[in-house]
Amino acid sequence: MQDEGDRLELLAKAKQLVESIEAKDDASTGELLSAMSLDREQNLFKEVGHLTRQLHDNLSSFALDEQLIGLTGKEIPDAKERLNYVIEMTDDAAHKTLNAIDEILPVTIEMQRKSEELSKNWSRFLSRDLSLEEFKEMSGEISKFLDSSCVNTKIVSDKTNEIVLAQGYQDLTGQIIKKVIALVQNVEESLVDLIRIAGSHEEAASTKKEEEKGVLEGPAVPGIVIDGAVNSQDEVDDLLSSLGF
Amino acid sequence: MDKNMKILVVDDFSTMRRIVKNLLRELGFTNLDEADDGQTAWPKLKAGGYDFLVTDWNMPGMTGIELLKMVRANPDTANMPVLMVTAEQKREQIIEAAQAGVNGYVIKPFTAGTLKEKIDKIFARSAG
Repeated sequence: MQDEGDRLELLAKAKQLVESIEAKDDASTGELLSAMSLDREQNLFKEVGHLTRQLHDNLSSFALDEQLIGLTGKEIPDAKERLNYVIEMTDDAAHKTLNAIDEILPVTIEMQRKSEELSKNWSRFLSRDLSLEEFKEMSGEISKFLDSSCVNTKIVSDKTNEIVLAQGYQDLTGQIIKKVIALVQNVEESLVDLIRIAGSHEEAASTKKEEEKGVLEGPAVPGIVIDGAVNSQDEVDDLLSSLGF
Repeated sequence: MDKNMKILVVDDFSTMRRIVKNLLRELGFTNLDEADDGQTAWPKLKAGGYDFLVTDWNMPGMTGIELLKMVRANPDTANMPVLMVTAEQKREQIIEAAQAGVNGYVIKPFTAGTLKEKIDKIFARSAG
């Protein structure tokens, strides 16, 4: 493509050429002709350069498409699995907690009822209001109560520990959600780059992702296969014992 | 096993720190301290007085594996038992932790039984 300046320059040279042919100046005519063909070659180079640039831009946007394909084809479905697993884990933790409370409450209510009853009788005993028969009965009740207290407090502490452990979901779902947030940011950046490329032929900002090496995988999510990951504590133990642990 | 030993629990999630501390308390340990990542844990460990380190792997600032390496590299802390409690479960990571000198490796989510078993094992070994 020639701009106005190129065109005027060519016209000036053409006029000179006509003049030198008319003047039968063969040497000058030869020089002018070779100069003009050199210009022609340079224009051709410019055009090739322009096409190369366009090709490069197209290839860059193609590479970006590849990245988007990776995001939409694998990472977004993975993110859905991850978020579903978050729902599952929070659901599981809530149920575990509520189930444990369902077991604790009747035990504590019964203990409270029984201790109130015994407390009343004990006060009557202290103020010598209790007959011998009643006292014997109360002694039996106290024995039973102490036995059941041992069992019941054990139930309460076991179930309380279950509740404590169930709270582990917060750490694990937190790690999963952080990963999904990083993915959403990644998608956003890719889309911004795509818009930039579509909007102009400026070279797209480097979208090359940092080397994935050293990225931690975080909690295992059912349905997402992580290469080289173990599936249970037993496998961890086996691996460590194979290493001499 | 000395139930009075001082244990440092390191995890960036406060809920997990509470869970681990709670379970340790249940096992009879009462001398417990905590830190939210390697960077805050290291000055405490360096200052001394700790007998056992329980750490997560994936934490901002300084990760658990970096902390483990620092513990092993410092003569004052080099022999401290270290238990890793983490969601990271790639074989290469477990091997890396083993090579860095971890004494036990528990993957999350874990049970109270697993934690107890690993701690017992660590101290049975260091006692024998």
